[in-house]
Amino acid sequence: MTKEKTVSITIDNKKLHVKPGLTILQAAKANNIYIPSLCAFEHLPSYGACRLCIVEVDGIRGFPTSCTTPVEDGMVIRTETQELRNLRQEVLKLLLSEHPASCLFCSDKEECINFQGTIRKVGNTTGCRYCPNDHRCEIQTIVEKIGLTETSYPVYYRNFPVEKYDPFYDRDYNLCILCGRCIRVCNDIRLNGTLSFKQRGQKTTIGPAFDRTHLEAGCEFCGACVNVCPTGALSVKTGKWYGKQDKEGETTCNFCSIGCKLILQTKNESIVDSLPDYDSPLDKGLICVKGRFSITEYVHSPWRYSTPMEMTPVGYNNITWEKALDIAAEKIKGVKPDEVLMLISTQLLNEDIYCTQKFMRKIIGSEHIIPTPLIYLNNDFATYWNLCTESQPLEVIENTQFIFTVGFDSTYGYSPIGIRIKKAAKAGAYLVTLNDKETNLDLLASASFQVEKKAWYDVIEILIARDGKEKKHTEAQKILKEGAIDLNRLKKSLSKTKDKLIVLGQDILNHPERTRLLDRFEKTITKGGWKIIVANPYTNLKGTLMLGGFPYIMPGDILKTQTGEKVKTIKTQIVNFDLNKKRKLIYIIGDAPDLMIPDCDFLIYQNALPASFKKMPDLILPSNLFPETDGTIINMEDRILMVKKVIEPYMESKPDWWIISAIGERLKKGKFQFKDMQSIHGEIKKLIKGFPKIKDRLEFSRINAAGSKKTARFTPVPEAKRAIYRGIALSEVVSGMKVIERSLNE
Amino acid sequence: MSDTIDLIFEKYERAQDQLIPILQEVQRQYGYVSPEAVKKISRYLKITENQIYGVSSFYAQFRFSAPGRHSIRVCLGTACHVRGGATLLEMLERELDIKCGDTTSDKRFDLDRVACLGCCALSPVVQIDKDIYSRMTVTKLAELLKSYE
Ligand code: SF4
Ligand code: SF4
Ligand code: SF4
Ligand code: FES
Ligand code: FES
Repeated sequence: MTKEKTVSITIDNKKLHVKPGLTILQAAKANNIYIPSLCAFEHLPSYGACRLCIVEVDGIRGFPTSCTTPVEDGMVIRTETQELRNLRQEVLKLLLSEHPASCLFCSDKEECINFQGTIRKVGNTTGCRYCPNDHRCEIQTIVEKIGLTETSYPVYYRNFPVEKYDPFYDRDYNLCILCGRCIRVCNDIRLNGTLSFKQRGQKTTIGPAFDRTHLEAGCEFCGACVNVCPTGALSVKTGKWYGKQDKEGETTCNFCSIGCKLILQTKNESIVDSLPDYDSPLDKGLICVKGRFSITEYVHSPWRYSTPMEMTPVGYNNITWEKALDIAAEKIKGVKPDEVLMLISTQLLNEDIYCTQKFMRKIIGSEHIIPTPLIYLNNDFATYWNLCTESQPLEVIENTQFIFTVGFDSTYGYSPIGIRIKKAAKAGAYLVTLNDKETNLDLLASASFQVEKKAWYDVIEILIARDGKEKKHTEAQKILKEGAIDLNRLKKSLSKTKDKLIVLGQDILNHPERTRLLDRFEKTITKGGWKIIVANPYTNLKGTLMLGGFPYIMPGDILKTQTGEKVKTIKTQIVNFDLNKKRKLIYIIGDAPDLMIPDCDFLIYQNALPASFKKMPDLILPSNLFPETDGTIINMEDRILMVKKVIEPYMESKPDWWIISAIGERLKKGKFQFKDMQSIHGEIKKLIKGFPKIKDRLEFSRINAAGSKKTARFTPVPEAKRAIYRGIALSEVVSGMKVIERSLNE
Repeated sequence: MSDTIDLIFEKYERAQDQLIPILQEVQRQYGYVSPEAVKKISRYLKITENQIYGVSSFYAQFRFSAPGRHSIRVCLGTACHVRGGATLLEMLERELDIKCGDTTSDKRFDLDRVACLGCCALSPVVQIDKDIYSRMTVTKLAELLKSYE
């Protein structure tokens, strides 16, 4: 290993060796030397606007801003001199001349902090506390550090109306100090460009073009602007009056198969905010609206089941777990294997799936464990799975020269993929988009096809066939002309590059010619030359298959072995199982649509929120949601990710594995003595070596569904249109998601 | 309009530093920069509409609404400001029910501010179309508006 180069500098008489290329501010921070700063933010390009971070450097005239001055060998820097202190105080006073300051300079400040027992909103209505950022505000910290106790300038109140009409966050630009962090994060990190300074002078404010709302202006509601704002100007609607969080914990988002890292902030066991981690290698902190803003309302929904419930002739009765488990065991005892149907979501944790399949196989002896996508996609499932097994790690995107997106849009989901694509396009990659409406990638695309679904196949042929038969595809020819797309240039760029990538969006799931398109892609990928990334809404599809959540595929079976690939076959009769056949017992974990629930004598529904189907369950078992439980998932990159418990479960709700094991133990003593995660992992480890601490990407076998094509039936897939978790659409429980969905349907 | 704006594009390179020259030409040809024009420019230069608007709203020269039949310009240069220019502007905003920079819905007037019309001795000054009105007061101005259709 070569020794890393360093430069030596002196800060406040301390000799330091730091990495070259850092700014003075970064070097100081890395060595725990505090320099006040407001407009600088770790992951953003330097800006040099607030001038609070000024320092003295020998040999440089005046007071350079440390956030824009790179370190040089031999630099002698002072951060705390009387002159600097005076200057900073002056700068801060000027800055505060347009910022309401009653929380900063108040003779009763101390008492207020120590004794004020009210929640923030009261202060808001009574007048003195107008800012939701109290106690987590960077200005408060800086005023304290710089030692400002009063201000001599009159405060000019700009009197902008507070903007509350967009979902998820409010904006009060009277509190804004124009540091530009929000603009930079939106433009430079999210590559979205919703925000910019508007007007000038005293009227300067921030926002989209004309008087558009953020929703109209193409905002993704990623909330990045809110996390970086040092003031209370931007605030999350659901968390703004809680004050400072008292705890935080890391976990993995379970809303799609990327599995972004989330930092959940809590107060009194309630989730008040959900933040990205810019250092997370998988998602780079580029989380989407679902992970950022949907968790609080979903987890703390007033509709959540608090206890088990039993249906009686006069409606539902709350019952104890003891009783609920007894009833379940009673009903399950003695049912024959083909009289049972277990429908599961693919958004459960690996451990839940393991327990569920063990329960089905070892207690009931049945293979009728069906993840709902298998019914929706039926004969296309195998093809979809095979494409998913070929799905590349996300970092591939940035090194690709030719990207072709099909039915993909990353405005309200999959942003770690979408932003990487934008980045590649900005760096010169040739980007082609195909959709039936405008997508958020079109602006940066070299060619974008906005065409009806029925013309997709032709466009795809033109791009991937390269068989010289383009003329055959008349529809596409027409489109090329209308869209003023230069086929020759496109072809040239195609033939020039070796690494070409298809990004398959979730819209493909609802394409009327789904079978034909998926088959085409499978053929292309198998032939080589193209890579693929599948933006897959089924969070733990891979874990579900790996841990045996599919009929006739045992835990571990789908993993590729050293001896080579063994293609699995899903039996046709299972894929197209008889939905009309009456069952004795149906057990649903997650949700399922009415048409998938045959007649039955007894229906058990295990989920956190009321189901979307109309049938009335006979027994309701309340389960935990992902921030309330430990476990693992396998994401689209084939990596095992940890899901960690951040808050205590809501009321009586329990983890899925716990419920299933408790019923199993009642039916066969000694089979299900799982106390905790470790005991489940112990058992899984016997089948899958190293689980769950496998650091590498796993490798999965393909599935073969040959011979069943003819009977394919088309069922529209809800996941293609809506964000869904455990069967429930986020828009049903999260008010802002409803607003977004409505705007999409307009 | 889309045809003429394409003609404008032909004259300018497809590079982001051409934004201001393109905006200027659009303003010259149409009298203002419409939302449709911003959208077209956005696609052409691959910058979002929001960013284009942000940049252009910084410069006083760009208008974002179609001009009215008559253009009112209130001088807010130092001399006029000191002698009540801002009051005149406020009065007009109230009277016409529009904000500075906008056009009335009946397209009768558009309203904007300017910095110093070069006749400070006569301040405060208001310009309507080509005519300069000096020593303006709120009442005089209200009377004056009636004579414009
Ligand atoms: S939420 Fe995201 S996309 Fe919207 S303005 Fe803020 S940073 Fe930009
Ligand atoms: S809204 Fe916040 S982040 Fe944006 S400029 Fe104002 S203070 Fe800075
Ligand atoms: S992209 Fe997927 S994993 Fe990441 S925050 Fe959004 S829903 Fe969650
Ligand atoms: S932090 Fe350096 S100028 Fe703002
Ligand atoms: S300030 Fe109004 S004319 Fe000079």
